[in-house]
Amino acid sequence: MDISKPVERVDLLEKCQGNALFVDDLEIPGLLHAVTLRSRIPRGRIKRIEVPEIPERYWIVDYRDVPGKNSVKMLSEDMPFFAEDKVNYIGEPILLVVGEDKEKAKRILKDIHVEYEEIEPVFTIEEALNGNAPPIYGDNNSFVEYEFSRGDVDDAFRKAYRIVEGEYRTGLQEHIYLEPQGMIGIYSEGKVRVIGSMQCPYYVKNALVHGLGWPEDRIQVVQATTGGGFGGKEDFPSLIAGHVAFASIKTGRPVKLILERNEDILSTTKRHPSIVRHRTALDRDGNILGMDVEIILDAGAYITLSPVVLQRAIFAGTGVYKTPNLRVRGIAVATNHVPSGAFRGFGSPQAFFGVELHGTNLSDEMGISPLEYKKSVSVRRGDLTPTSGRFRSDVKIDEIMSRLDKLSGFTEKYQKYRDEKWKGIGVSLFFHGCGFTGDGEVRLDSRVKLAKRKDGKVEILVSTVEMGQGAQTALRKIVSHALNIPIEQVIYRNPDTDRVPDSGPTVASRTVMIVGGLLQRACEKLKDHMGEMEYVVEERFRMPEYVRWDQEKLHGDSYPEYSWGGVVVEVEVDPVTLEVKTSGMWGVYDVGIPIDERIIRGQLEGGMVQALGWAYLEKMDIKEGLLIPGTITDYTIPTAKDVPEIVVELVKTPYEYGPFGAKCAGELPFVGVAPAFASAVQQATGIRIDKIPITPEYLLEKMNGD
Amino acid sequence: MVIEFVLNGERIKADVNPEKRLLHFLREDMGLKGTKEGCGEGECGACSVLLNGKLVHSCLVPLIMVDGRDVLTIEGFRKTERFRVLKEAFSEEGAVQCGFCTPGMLLAAEALLRENPEPDEEDIKEAISGNLCRCTGYLSVVRAIKRASIKGRGLW
Amino acid sequence: MVKPDTLQEALGMRSGKVPLAGGTDLMVREVNKEFLYIGHLPELKGIRALEGKIIIGSATTLDEIVQSKIVPEVLKQGVKVMASPGIRNMATIGGNICNSSPAGDTLPPLYILDASLLLVSLNEVRTVSVMDFIKGPGKNILREDELLKEIIIPDMDFTYAGYRKIGTRNALALSKASIAYGYKIEMDRLVDIRIALGAVAPTPVRSKSIEEFLIETYPWENGEIHRALVMYDKLINPITDQRSTAEYRRWVSLNLIKDFLMGVSRGED
Repeated sequence: MDISKPVERVDLLEKCQGNALFVDDLEIPGLLHAVTLRSRIPRGRIKRIEVPEIPERYWIVDYRDVPGKNSVKMLSEDMPFFAEDKVNYIGEPILLVVGEDKEKAKRILKDIHVEYEEIEPVFTIEEALNGNAPPIYGDNNSFVEYEFSRGDVDDAFRKAYRIVEGEYRTGLQEHIYLEPQGMIGIYSEGKVRVIGSMQCPYYVKNALVHGLGWPEDRIQVVQATTGGGFGGKEDFPSLIAGHVAFASIKTGRPVKLILERNEDILSTTKRHPSIVRHRTALDRDGNILGMDVEIILDAGAYITLSPVVLQRAIFAGTGVYKTPNLRVRGIAVATNHVPSGAFRGFGSPQAFFGVELHGTNLSDEMGISPLEYKKSVSVRRGDLTPTSGRFRSDVKIDEIMSRLDKLSGFTEKYQKYRDEKWKGIGVSLFFHGCGFTGDGEVRLDSRVKLAKRKDGKVEILVSTVEMGQGAQTALRKIVSHALNIPIEQVIYRNPDTDRVPDSGPTVASRTVMIVGGLLQRACEKLKDHMGEMEYVVEERFRMPEYVRWDQEKLHGDSYPEYSWGGVVVEVEVDPVTLEVKTSGMWGVYDVGIPIDERIIRGQLEGGMVQALGWAYLEKMDIKEGLLIPGTITDYTIPTAKDVPEIVVELVKTPYEYGPFGAKCAGELPFVGVAPAFASAVQQATGIRIDKIPITPEYLLEKMNGD
Repeated sequence: MVIEFVLNGERIKADVNPEKRLLHFLREDMGLKGTKEGCGEGECGACSVLLNGKLVHSCLVPLIMVDGRDVLTIEGFRKTERFRVLKEAFSEEGAVQCGFCTPGMLLAAEALLRENPEPDEEDIKEAISGNLCRCTGYLSVVRAIKRASIKGRGLW
Repeated sequence: MVKPDTLQEALGMRSGKVPLAGGTDLMVREVNKEFLYIGHLPELKGIRALEGKIIIGSATTLDEIVQSKIVPEVLKQGVKVMASPGIRNMATIGGNICNSSPAGDTLPPLYILDASLLLVSLNEVRTVSVMDFIKGPGKNILREDELLKEIIIPDMDFTYAGYRKIGTRNALALSKASIAYGYKIEMDRLVDIRIALGAVAPTPVRSKSIEEFLIETYPWENGEIHRALVMYDKLINPITDQRSTAEYRRWVSLNLIKDFLMGVSRGED
């Protein structure tokens, strides 16, 4: 049977009935509540903390209650669980008040006074690099820097017929998963169990091992039904997992910590703001001779995942364009605001905003329709990737652009709108690297287990989480089809680190392609043993032979495979108010063979709407270290009334190493919307767009200013 | 203060703090976890219930306003044929992803269809305009409610 | 929290308490005083027509206003773009008025409708114009012993009236700027024109003198629209906040006025 044919989501009934148990729904006897005291200043030293008399059965939990190392181990160990002597962002956790009554704990919190000695803070990329304030990190606030190149880009500029420059900026974005972050920690008989909303149970476990200094078998991490993640629950949960673990150990009781919405907005990770600079050498015919790209990411106060976000951004630096010469440089800088972290696309949206808006500007320079131009100067099968690997599979750009044109009427409208003010149409072309960036999958060394049970059912044992994206349905479908058994015979529970191997984090659009691929191979092994009473197979990740990657030089195949997409956005701008109305959005995507067409459609529509929010509705700035706006009232994500008509279509290039030919899909639909939107507004208004979000206020500023 | 009201078809009498929010009463005192707290300030709709048949954000409703009235939560609604039709439609259209907004969306749909059994797309978008969703992008929810109104003709 | 059974009883308990009807604003704030619940009082409910006026009880919900067949269209338009259906089912018009936010969407329509407010206390009943009632952001002349009982709207017969809100998004949004407008043309003569602006000053803005100027100088063939805009420009005083900038608010509100006036001069709706 065709695996792509939709089936009812395995978690549909419980979610509709309101039975799905999210962390705040769990009833645990003896539960205490934790509330967090947070830094009110963006940067400084803690001189003194004045704590009032604490009533019985209420506790303070701080850095002194961390049994192991007071650092949240991710890629680095620079971020503490609790600030000890210094703070680096407004919202940084200093201590918890824990007790039976949450409101009473909050009142105690209000009476705690912290005396700070302020240090000159750094708020922007420019301030981070100008050296005026003492550095937050190292000598120069550079968390990490990378560079790679090909050919001789400076020579290309010397030979160029035309040089086109551009600078593009993107802003902060907050995930606003509908379920706020939360964890429960239960210490009992020498073992700590943490249950909560998360994407990566083993990231949490490893952070707890480091923070507790205990052996692994004394720590258990269990995922509760998770109400959305989008990257915001990739590394952040490790921080609050530590908090509840330490609190539970200290109090001897279970402790729950659920962030209030505005607290969540204030204190959890955000999408990296970026500056993307392009300099492109063209020959007389518009072919690209060389591209020089610089990407600067604002990493916030701690390193978290910035090295990998930066890598993914720079590995997409030259986008879909074919160029013999290139130089791509990237830097992630430290600033005194909440740490930037993972968010759907993970650096790629920022890179593609820059390169695709720049591509529109290149086509304007050449006087050619962007759909034609981008198609004509982009890569095809066999061409080099930005890091000089190969695009080994079919690159269906011609088909994507042709379908887009038919569906949206781009070519006609583009010509029409050249003479019609206030209407515009834009197009973008993009890819997303499937799986962990660079050598990540090799280092992750993921394992999956498949267990045939006595009752005839087969259980999937992986650390992948369902967070709405359909993982539980998709992975069960893969096993069901591979073993030729009904999907009802396949079990897959929320992961518990006591029961499942580490199949890696639920990130990087790797769940179906990598973990699903491992499961498919495990099924091949299990097939011959289905007759036995019980049988367990384990499968371990192997990078396909053809992948050649040098992590030192950042050279070769940064990903084993790519998914592709093209997006068209049509807008109408109201001249009286400068409000932008999206008249239509079209997306044509190649994600290989969809494991479930309906689930894929959900990812495509959902990702595109989320990206539309990033492009024009979701504005968040830093004002003296404070996030403004910082409330759900004023941080405006799209509502149902803000969504245009969206048409999505698939083209399919099966991937040999993906389960049933599947590639990756989760992040791809986020990547292309913003530059297409910006290109459309640029045509509609005649204003040179250089940043998002494109608010009416921004358009007015541009109209009046430059 | 002692209040009396009907909850999911049953008479309830309780001595409560009149300022306590209906949302917390449902979740803490009645153990009904289907109504969710997404923001606590009436800005997301995850806490939606029907009060005298009207959609309200239960995080904003103090119990004093519930006295003498009729509350329907997802736990009550899920027993009905209308729920079944909506659930089928939500399944067919892929309108459920993480599920956190889902009970609120279903009740918003019920509130709409009670007043307008044949809504068009604009009506539906208006009816769910106070229910935020970050996963689906809303179009599948709109299609699902439209589908339910057609498949369930005569139920509303 | 106290729950009186009648308006009289409520007035007896009024002092030192905060009146609570729909709760959609007050339940999100920290209020240190006791609440006086009045949302259920029958004397504060209902919409009726009486001798050429529409009378709206202050505890009428926003949804009830939208559903009413007799409430003037421009007020319904203002209410329809407020918040969300769930909020509108609880929030009251009295609450929006007494909240006295310069961005309150019921206010510009009430301003151009020349609405007045019936304020009652144990010993006194007084009627004030809504424009005199609102004094500044969150400030009004309601006394400690008074409750807003009714909103009184004289019958109005506009050729066209409307409300336009510039929000941060299309629903669940607070106004960045807004305009209520109405005009009446009788036999090619402009006999009435009204404009009220929201969210661009400490209170909503309406100027009867500019309106008189516009009536006198219609059909505005000598740059009168521009002069009117210059006059409005002096009256407004927008701020920059988390929602918008002073520059944008000023620009867009003047643009909205201009757009309206140009439409009137073209005889459009």
